[in-house]
Amino acid sequence: MARVTDAMRRRFAWGAARLAPVVTLLAAWEIFARSGAVTPFMLPAPSAVTERICEDALGGDLFVNIGATLYRALMGFAIAAVGGVVLGAVMARNALARWFFDPIISVGFPMPKIAFLPVIILWLGLYDVSKITMVVLDAIFPVVTATVAGIASVEKELLWSARNMGAKDRELLWQILLPAALPQILTGLQVALPIALIVVVVTEMQMGGYGLGGAMMQASRFANSRGVFAGIVEIAIIGYALVAAMAWLRRRLLAWHQEGREG
Amino acid sequence: MDNPAQIIIENVSHHYRPAVGREVLALESVSLQVREREFLALVGPSGCGKSTLLYLIGGFLPIDTGKIMVDGKPAAGPGPDRGIVFQNFALFPWKTVRKNVLYGLERQALPRAEREARAQAFIDLVGLTGFEESYPSHLSGGMKQRAAIARTLAFDPRMLLMDEPFGALDAQTRSLMQSELLAIWEKTRKTVIFVTHDVHEAVYLAERVAVMTARPGRIKAIIDTSFDKDDPEVHRSKIFVDKVDEVWTLVRDEAVKALEKQRP
Repeated sequence: MARVTDAMRRRFAWGAARLAPVVTLLAAWEIFARSGAVTPFMLPAPSAVTERICEDALGGDLFVNIGATLYRALMGFAIAAVGGVVLGAVMARNALARWFFDPIISVGFPMPKIAFLPVIILWLGLYDVSKITMVVLDAIFPVVTATVAGIASVEKELLWSARNMGAKDRELLWQILLPAALPQILTGLQVALPIALIVVVVTEMQMGGYGLGGAMMQASRFANSRGVFAGIVEIAIIGYALVAAMAWLRRRLLAWHQEGREG
Repeated sequence: MDNPAQIIIENVSHHYRPAVGREVLALESVSLQVREREFLALVGPSGCGKSTLLYLIGGFLPIDTGKIMVDGKPAAGPGPDRGIVFQNFALFPWKTVRKNVLYGLERQALPRAEREARAQAFIDLVGLTGFEESYPSHLSGGMKQRAAIARTLAFDPRMLLMDEPFGALDAQTRSLMQSELLAIWEKTRKTVIFVTHDVHEAVYLAERVAVMTARPGRIKAIIDTSFDKDDPEVHRSKIFVDKVDEVWTLVRDEAVKALEKQRP
């Protein structure tokens, strides 16, 4: 039998303490919804929303929608991650590429890419390809800028040491620059991931069909407020899970880094 | 002591181009010869270009004017014959101590077992046994510099270029590292060029101390410091104190000049 140690008790207490604000919010929501101050149509109670989520789960719709949303978000994120690191590395290493892409990135990053949605729909239709394209268009910018900044800030002594030990110019990118820039690149990816989820939900709301955003809009059209709130809760949980997974990946990859140090 | 000159520096000038502002003459017709197996220290006021000279010998910076010959060949581009050690260690933080030391060895035609054995031998030599699998961020400053020295010694360069290697260490660690470097130098007998602003350190370690002028850097004087340093009390001996005083006076004059130049 496992012994309950002090350390375990402390960890349990910490976990409970971290959950407390969420539990408090849910309790306040439940009490307010049942108080009669608002109608269940305006604000359904969390218990009613949970019931709706369970129905969707039993019927299978929930998993179809989550699957569609996650597939688009993660596929777009993966393309943005690879493309962003490649473009950032090329820009950091090549003056011509920097000269060409720098103004495009500067103009494109702050621009609301949702403005391209009508064009993308005309070009690529209403299905996955257009949604994934929108995700890539939004999520690639933080990855590119983080990669460029990360590679630019690599100390020259690291490069000199590597060349001193006989590394060839073409080896420097993989062996020195990318590993040294990894902390910043991961920060860029951590910014890009929630963007991917946001953009996918927004495009789904615009275009309809399967996916959490589409399901919410459909519920809204049918004046089904429980369905709308169920979507909000589902998106919040998925977003939290994605961010937590990314933070875990960062800790794994950066075990060597100062921040991975205990104490 | 009459070894032939291994490094010949002739009339080397170097301009430093900052990202903004005018270019600065960092070195002006520097000429210097370093003999094989010699320990030479390079001292001077800050900003005199002593590190720049070291980077030029290392082949990390292009030579504008003059020439630098290493073993009879021009120093164009870095090479594993000249191993460099930096003040900030420049260890690869994502690699363990062992992998750091192996990096240079992996580029040499050695069987795997021999590479591993060599890496271990140099980790042992610098006293890092037991820390092979540690990442640099988990080591103290002194241990990081030991690892960096092991990494450079492991690929067996003919000469060591050391750029204020103990400048980032606390006083105790620094003095410990100095005696260990001397011990290592006596064991391996490599040519060493050691850049420092610490006159004590220069006199203690080196056989000759080259004093540089304030910017633009030139060689102002070369002081012979090759007296017997085995005595643990050498720091208090008359000859040591006199040599430190001699070098210090030269450096201080230049530091004063550098300050006066900065005044409007």
